[in-house]
Amino acid sequence: MNKLLLITSLILPVLFYGQADQNEYKKRVLETAEVDYVMSYYTQDGTHASVTGGIGTEKLEDITPTFIIALPLNADDVLTIDAGISAYSSASSSNLDPFDSSGASGGYDDDDDDDDDRASYAGVSGTPWYASSGASAQDVWSGVTVNYSHTSDSRDFSWNTQASFANEYDYNSVGFGGGLSQQFNEKNTSVSLSGLVFLDNWNPKYPTEIDSYYEAGSNLNNGFFGPIDILDQTGAIINKNDPNAWRPNGGLIVNTSRKTYSGSINFSQILSKNLQLLLSVDIVRQQGWLANPMQRVYFSDKPNFYVGNPSSIPNYETPQNTDVFQLGDDIERLPSVRTKLPFGARLNYYVNASLAVRTYFRYYQDDWGLVSQTASIEFPVKFGLGKFTLYPNYRYFTQTAVDYFAPYEGHLSTSDFYTSDYDLSAFSSHQMGLGFNYTDLFAQLKFLGFGFKSLDVRYNYYDRSDGLNAHITSMGVKFVMD
Amino acid sequence: MKTIFLLACAFVLSSCKIVKPYDMVNINDPDMLLANKKCERFETNFQIYREGASGANGGKSGGGCGCN
Repeated sequence: MNKLLLITSLILPVLFYGQADQNEYKKRVLETAEVDYVMSYYTQDGTHASVTGGIGTEKLEDITPTFIIALPLNADDVLTIDAGISAYSSASSSNLDPFDSSGASGGYDDDDDDDDDRASYAGVSGTPWYASSGASAQDVWSGVTVNYSHTSDSRDFSWNTQASFANEYDYNSVGFGGGLSQQFNEKNTSVSLSGLVFLDNWNPKYPTEIDSYYEAGSNLNNGFFGPIDILDQTGAIINKNDPNAWRPNGGLIVNTSRKTYSGSINFSQILSKNLQLLLSVDIVRQQGWLANPMQRVYFSDKPNFYVGNPSSIPNYETPQNTDVFQLGDDIERLPSVRTKLPFGARLNYYVNASLAVRTYFRYYQDDWGLVSQTASIEFPVKFGLGKFTLYPNYRYFTQTAVDYFAPYEGHLSTSDFYTSDYDLSAFSSHQMGLGFNYTDLFAQLKFLGFGFKSLDVRYNYYDRSDGLNAHITSMGVKFVMD
Repeated sequence: MKTIFLLACAFVLSSCKIVKPYDMVNINDPDMLLANKKCERFETNFQIYREGASGANGGKSGGGCGCN
C-alpha cells in the first residue's frame, strides 16, 4: 500500500503533466501571493478523563495560531506553506503525574488546624478531579505542511504533492503524499484521487506510578514508592512485600511507531445552475501502537490501591475527593491495526443572492466496531451588498462504542485489549454556532504591502451526551499582496 | 454501501444537464464551495480528537496522537 501511494503521489503526476502552447494566454491559477492568519481558542470540560481511567476532570484550553502562505510560482504552479502551533493546558494530562505538593491536590488543606494531617501520607497525594502541576499539564504542538500544486494549461487537470512534519513532547509525525484531479463535461464533473502516509513515533510518557514501578526494578520499596505508603480499599497501609500488593499489568511499549496510510476518492458534479454535489470515500489503515500510553485502565477483578488521604477513598469517584489517587492497573491497550472506512457527501444549493444551503453527511465504520453518522447544515446569509455573510450552522453526530471500551473499573485483566477513553464510547453530540464573514473584493485597506481581503469569525458550542461540552472560537484574516 | 455509492454516481452522471461556464456564476459563489472554509479546520481538528470517527471531509485522517 505504501508503494502504491508513493506511485500515486510522485510518479503519476509527472506522467500526466499537461503540455500546451506556451504562447497562449493563461489566467494564473493564483493571481498573487496570499497570506491567511487563522487561529482558534478552544475550551472543554467533562468528567470522564481518559488519563485517569474514565473518571476525573477533562478541563482543557487550547490556542492555535497558524499562518498559511500561498505563493504563485508561475501561472500554473502554487507553493503553499501551512505552519502553526497548538499550545494547550490540560488538567487531564497534568494527572499523568497527579502526585505533587503544589497543585490543587497538594495544596489542599481541609481543616483550619495545623498541617500535620499531611504527614501520614508523606505529603504526596493526588486526585483525578483537579489539575496537578505535573510536567505534562502544558505543551506545545507545532507543525508545518508544504504543498506544491501544478495545474495543466487547460485547467482541467491538476496534481499536487505535500510533505508535513509535526512534533509535541511525546509524539512526532512525518507525512507525505499527493493527489490528482481531473475535470470533465465542461468542468461540470470532477474526480480526484489522493494518498497520504504518516510515519509517526511515540516518545511514550506513562502514568507516573507505572513508570516509577519499572524504573525501580519492580520493587515497591525503592524509588518513588520507597517513602510512600500504599493503601488498600479500606485505607489500611499494605505490606509492599506481599505478593498481592499492587503491581501494574502488562508492561511498557516495545514498538513505538504508528503508521497511517490514507487514500481518498472524491467525485463532484454540478447538478444544475444552483446545485452541486460531492461524494467522497476514504480508506485509512493504521498500524503500530494505536493506544495512548498516557491513559490508565482500572480492572474490576483486581483489588484497588491508593496513595493519599485514606479518609477520601469512599469519595474517590466524586469531585469531593481532593487528596487520594488510585494507582493504575495498566495503560490502555488496543489492537495494532485499525482500518477506517468513511463515506461522505456534500450537497450545496444556491437559493438566491442572499441565501445558500450547505449540507454534509458522513457514514463511518471501522474494524474496531465503531459505526457513526454525521449530519450538518449551514445557511450562509449575505447582506450589505454581499460584503457581509452570516453562517448559522448545526451539526449532529452519533457513534457506537469500540469493542474494547468499558468505563472506570469495567474491564477484566484477562482481556487482551481495553480502553476507558470516552472518545471511543457510545455517545451522540450536538454542535451549533454562528460564523461571520466580511470580504473586501478590492482589498482596499493596505498593510505592509498587503491588501486586506477578508475576515472570518466563528463561534461553536459542542455538547456531548456523556457530559463533555466545549466552546470553540475561530478567526481568520486573509491578506493579498499588492 | 459500495453498491449504493456506485448507483448514486451513475444516477448523477446520467441525469445532469451540462451547465455552461457562463451559467456558473451561482455555482462559483464562495459559499457553494464543496469543502470547509479555512477557519473551520479547527472545528474539524477537535472533532477528530473528541470523536472516534474521522475522514471523508477533506480534513486530516491520520498523523498525530489525539492525546488531549
